[in-house]
Amino acid sequence: MADLSFTQEELDEIERLKDKFPTAKAATLRVLWLAQNKYGHVKEEIQSLVAEALDVPKSHVHGVARFYTQYYKEEKGKFVLDVCTCLSCQLCGGYDILDHLEEELGIEAGETTEDGMFTIQEVECLGACGYAPMLQVTNGVYVNNLTKEKVDTLLENLKNGNMPEFESMAMPELEKRNQAASK
Amino acid sequence: MPEVFIDGKRYEYDEEKDEMLLQFILDQGLEVPFFCYHPSMSIPANCRQCMVKVGTPVKDRETGEFELDEDGERKIRWFPKFQTSCSTRLQDGMVVLTQESSEEVARAQKDNLEFILINHPLDCPICDQAGECPLQIQTYKYGPEGSRFEVKKVHKPKHVDLGPRVTLDAERCINCTRCVRFTEEISETHQLTIVDRGDSNYPTTGPGETFDDPYSLNTVDICPVGALTSTDFRFKARVWEMNQTPSIDITNGKGCNIDLWTRDNEVLRITPRQNKEVNDYWMPDEGRKAYERFNENRVDRPYIKLDGDNQSNTSWNNAIETFAEVLESNNPGDITIIGSPHASVEENYVFNKFFNLLGTSNAKFTPHVIPGSGDGFLITDDQAPNTNGCRVIKLDETDEQSIKATVSAAKVVIILSDDLIGRDILSSSDLNDPYTISFATNNTETTKASDLVIPITCIAEHAASYVNVDGRIQRSYPAKETKYTNRRLNLEMSEGRLDRFGTNFDNWVSEENKVDCLPIWDFLNKLGDRLGLDFKYDHSREIFAELSNSLDILSDVSYERMDEEKGVQLPIKQEEVKA
Repeated sequence: MADLSFTQEELDEIERLKDKFPTAKAATLRVLWLAQNKYGHVKEEIQSLVAEALDVPKSHVHGVARFYTQYYKEEKGKFVLDVCTCLSCQLCGGYDILDHLEEELGIEAGETTEDGMFTIQEVECLGACGYAPMLQVTNGVYVNNLTKEKVDTLLENLKNGNMPEFESMAMPELEKRNQAASK
Repeated sequence: MPEVFIDGKRYEYDEEKDEMLLQFILDQGLEVPFFCYHPSMSIPANCRQCMVKVGTPVKDRETGEFELDEDGERKIRWFPKFQTSCSTRLQDGMVVLTQESSEEVARAQKDNLEFILINHPLDCPICDQAGECPLQIQTYKYGPEGSRFEVKKVHKPKHVDLGPRVTLDAERCINCTRCVRFTEEISETHQLTIVDRGDSNYPTTGPGETFDDPYSLNTVDICPVGALTSTDFRFKARVWEMNQTPSIDITNGKGCNIDLWTRDNEVLRITPRQNKEVNDYWMPDEGRKAYERFNENRVDRPYIKLDGDNQSNTSWNNAIETFAEVLESNNPGDITIIGSPHASVEENYVFNKFFNLLGTSNAKFTPHVIPGSGDGFLITDDQAPNTNGCRVIKLDETDEQSIKATVSAAKVVIILSDDLIGRDILSSSDLNDPYTISFATNNTETTKASDLVIPITCIAEHAASYVNVDGRIQRSYPAKETKYTNRRLNLEMSEGRLDRFGTNFDNWVSEENKVDCLPIWDFLNKLGDRLGLDFKYDHSREIFAELSNSLDILSDVSYERMDEEKGVQLPIKQEEVKA
């Protein structure tokens, strides 16, 4: 990564984002996100780049980037698998899923495979307790109600470059209530 | 007058001031514990320690009368939860219960402290802050007796060199953000931020940046725990071993109010002393380094030049005799005397007066200004603490060239603590021909080139006044003993535990740090005796009284007034100041 810079289109986009907020500081989150989408991470040099583009203190961008775990402060694999091991998932076998993943990919949580394809992370609650155990792929799609078989299929698909589809999850209680209301 | 009831007692407040409750409570001399609040910075209310119970009286909407309960007391509508008093604005009729009168509040504060202490290392025995630590003090006063937290504490970076002068121990940090707000609001370098989240957060610098703010050490002062420490002072002394003596910063023209912290007559650190008119709570890092010049490289005993460039220590008697002989064997017209913006008003005055009595012309001085070195805040272009003081007592202000010209024309040059060679005004060859006598505190290029060097007291050793760039006259106190002074006899000097209970047989007492020097007036008394002059001043107070009687501008100024009002603003025009 010799030359770090934003292209003209990206700079235009940053201008557009800045205009959406009363201060340039407020656009930090969005611009960091833009940078992460471009480079796959926001290491310190990228943070400096963002600070320059926004004309805000470097320390501010650094503080924001370090606060959110979704910003990657180091290079990660192409797919980052965030496996939830918080209470509900844990009770429903979150650790089994994590162990299985670790075994399949031959790495520990927090590590990246040698081919740079996968990173496994153990994370706290992602707010999907209703369909535990679950994992999230690179700050995006949730894969719910996991079983070992489902994990294997997921890995196979990802290796072929197929991202899982967004899955609309039914909420049984809500449905029950809706049905009762419509009667 | 609007009123507020604190712990059942009525206070009136000034609505115009728009004060916050915590500041008002503190102004009344009452106490509520707090960590993150600082009167000169914004209020984030993030430490949650200053919680109090607050309520407002219920009013009848139609009549506007207070509703009363059965006992005829006002009905109070309490806020649903405790409020952080730092961010609660005073309201007319507000009722406040602090930890003094409400067990609930005391309990809330205690529990909050227990939370703050969960990951705090409690390494007070080796922590620099111990003894002056708000967290320590408030834990003693309001905290829980022990911790119920049985699991391992969170570990964070233990030794981070944030910048050249500040070292961070992240584990001690309670994330009050005072340091971050300081760099954002006061020094405006924006160099610090809080990183990471939850229980693992701590302050640090941005990527690739170092905390080289010229005011960085102020964050060490305002840190309510021992997280930010001065790299220089770290582990040097316990707070309670030192004496604290008020003084004035002499490294630039602003005259920041400071405290000198001494132990065994060695100045160990310098911290700012609050003065709203001058420096508020702050001072530049440069001023804190001045402790070195008080301790090290001092002129100790008179020096005399023997043959060639060899200088040797000599006795005071010999110095006085040589001095007198030089004065007697030369025509007063051939003697040039040079005062100094680096010396105090009193020193310059007696220096000038003494030699004027012998018939010399008025002392000259040249301001020590480096244009562009100031920053408009507390660092000034003027490098000397007393340029205006020299003007007040009417020394002849001259530029650098004419000083050089007068020196080359003179047969005897007498210089009052000003490193004219170091300032590149003179070169050492200029001082070859005339017989040069220096009154000096420290060894400099100028003392090296002088034929006779008389050691005089520095600001840490005498009481004297200085007039800053804005025309404010402020004074120092003796903080450090010389060979000839004694803490116990000089009531102006502070006496710490070690001084009070130490004897010469204790290993923490030494003679080494006492410099063999005299206040210039003491030396001139002795020289006057030898020459048969009517010249005697026992104390700088006497000199100042004489000045005050003879100069209109100082007529209502005295040491007492300077002490009471933290310095006195003199009517000096601003344009005169800049020069």
